Amino acid sequence: MGEVERGEEAEAPPKQVAVAMERLGDAARLIAEIRLGADRLLEAIFLTSLSPHQQNTTTTTITTTTTTTTTTTTTTNSNNKKTISNKKALQLIAKEEINMRQHFQHLRSLGRKLEASGVLSGTLRAQDNGSWGLHMPLVCPDGAVVAYAWKRQLAGQAAASAVDRTRLALKAFTDQKRRFFPHLEDESLSQEKSGEFAISKKLRCSFGPTSSDLQHDIVDEIITERKTLSDILTGLETDAPNLKIFTYQRLDWVKRASSLSSSLTKENCGDSLKDSKFPTFSKLMMGTTGTQELDRVAVIELWVPSVFRAVVSLNPAGSVNPDSVAFFSPDEVGTYIHSRGSSVHHVYQHLTDNAGKALQYFLGTRSHASLDLLFKWMSGYQTLFTKLCRYVSKCSCLLAMDKPSGLLLPPVYRPFQQLPPKQNASSTQPNSAAKDQSSDASHAYHIGCVPGEA
Amino acid sequence: MPVKWLLHWQPNAGTTINSQVLTEVSQCVEGINGIKGGRWKSTLSIYKAIARDLNAPLECARDFLGISFQEQPNKHYFILRGQRLVLEADSNIQSIMEKLQSYRTRISLNIEGFQYQLGDFLVKMGKVVITHSENLRGIVMEVEYLPISSLEKSRQIMEEFVDIWQELVSRKSLPGHFMHIEPNFSEYGLSDPYSFQHTAVQYVTVMIQLMASVRN
Repeated sequence: MGEVERGEEAEAPPKQVAVAMERLGDAARLIAEIRLGADRLLEAIFLTSLSPHQQNTTTTTITTTTTTTTTTTTTTNSNNKKTISNKKALQLIAKEEINMRQHFQHLRSLGRKLEASGVLSGTLRAQDNGSWGLHMPLVCPDGAVVAYAWKRQLAGQAAASAVDRTRLALKAFTDQKRRFFPHLEDESLSQEKSGEFAISKKLRCSFGPTSSDLQHDIVDEIITERKTLSDILTGLETDAPNLKIFTYQRLDWVKRASSLSSSLTKENCGDSLKDSKFPTFSKLMMGTTGTQELDRVAVIELWVPSVFRAVVSLNPAGSVNPDSVAFFSPDEVGTYIHSRGSSVHHVYQHLTDNAGKALQYFLGTRSHASLDLLFKWMSGYQTLFTKLCRYVSKCSCLLAMDKPSGLLLPPVYRPFQQLPPKQNASSTQPNSAAKDQSSDASHAYHIGCVPGEA
Repeated sequence: MPVKWLLHWQPNAGTTINSQVLTEVSQCVEGINGIKGGRWKSTLSIYKAIARDLNAPLECARDFLGISFQEQPNKHYFILRGQRLVLEADSNIQSIMEKLQSYRTRISLNIEGFQYQLGDFLVKMGKVVITHSENLRGIVMEVEYLPISSLEKSRQIMEEFVDIWQELVSRKSLPGHFMHIEPNFSEYGLSDPYSFQHTAVQYVTVMIQLMASVRN
């Protein structure tokens, strides 16, 4: 059993989910069989309690089951309409007992397998609040809302990222639908503006806004002086001077990605890019057609020399609505470098994953400031290879072994949940807490050192 | 080009290096989830000038090192230590030197072994042997961090990796330890972005150390 489990652990999360779902299906079937068996036992016992006369008249619908546990072909044998003697009933009961015992054994072994694969855990069993939850939507710790609690528990991390990916896919789909089929826009779509599921949106209304939501709203009203793309990018330039910003129209990025190889040595030498074909944002704005060009900008590249290159896609072009984001090594070349691409290096793959989650969080909770917040959060990664992990008691080093993947990684996590505004000039709520949190924004953690997560 | 640090095995005073050490450190790499890859090989040669006329003073360099890497088969790198020069040449320079009878190979060393993938790190563990000989002269370890190509930016990460590595190896209680010597790249006119020239200079530094320890 140990060998099989080890082999299963090496499978990809989707396979694990499929296997777990299959096992749960088997478990459900076994439970149904057990219920049927219990019914049959009860009927048999009931019949034995009847008088022989009553036994004659009662139409017996006791089904003689076959000994197979999977199929449930019920054959109402007409012969059974005769009087069933107590002996026969006893035989039935005995046979049923054997079947039930088998079912229970199978169920027990299934349960052990599910426990081993992490689907059932002690904490879940301890939660006796009826959150096997077919009735109550559950709000998970990271704010996601799922209709069924056990679906969330199923594959642990894989399910969490699957929810994120589904949300990303849903958002992309609704955006595209809105763009290409505006005549199809109906009431349900308008509710999904923030990108959350419709269920959760209704829930939020029914439970009323939480205090943190209120705080966010008030704060956003105050700090979003940066409403236009130009403001956001200018603000980013001043906040993070080491970050180089490039803007592109959608098709220009493809040209840029393929020309990366030729300009690689130039960049490495630290020369300012003399390539006038792709000017930096500041140079663009200095030109006369700057603002008009900005209306067509669909791809933004953030480049920190020797640290990372990030690509953000805007949808629609010229808006402040980020669509997708990806991180790469500054030395990577190739046409796979775009906002939905994936780096060849594990470090940047993790950054891209985190960025996707952060993006979804910003879009879900503070959608009108999402681009600004995303950029602020991304600029925290300038210290990717220098900032030590914040988990002081256990870690506080740069390189650490990430247990699940077995890789040595720098602190790739930057918190995004409490990203406050930087300017607190005229805020009306107490800002002492916010000031403390603003330094938290660029704290770095290894994957396994993140506070509040397993 | 990704940054690479070269470490070499420094045996304890009075002990000699043996192949058991190589096996043990290879096991260490596999212990931290290193995935064994293919073989790798570099060739290092020490050239000596062939003096035609014994009395006439030599105007050119008396001796220098040449090194070639498996990843760049069409290039050959020369290092002149005295003048702090590193030079990239085409690989057929060796046949030219032979034809011109200007320099001959005094010693030729092979550095060969296996490479291991550790996530974003690429580790090459190699033994140093004189060509056509089986005698183990030294152990060399190349550590490459693939995402970064800047020496300065990668310094902290590489230092931490070396620390982690040293700790792992020390648990095996072997007679010696790995050492990393950072050569003065700026003396050779090399800048921050990493290149094959940097590797060549690191190898030279390592070779000097190895020869010194062999002599002792």
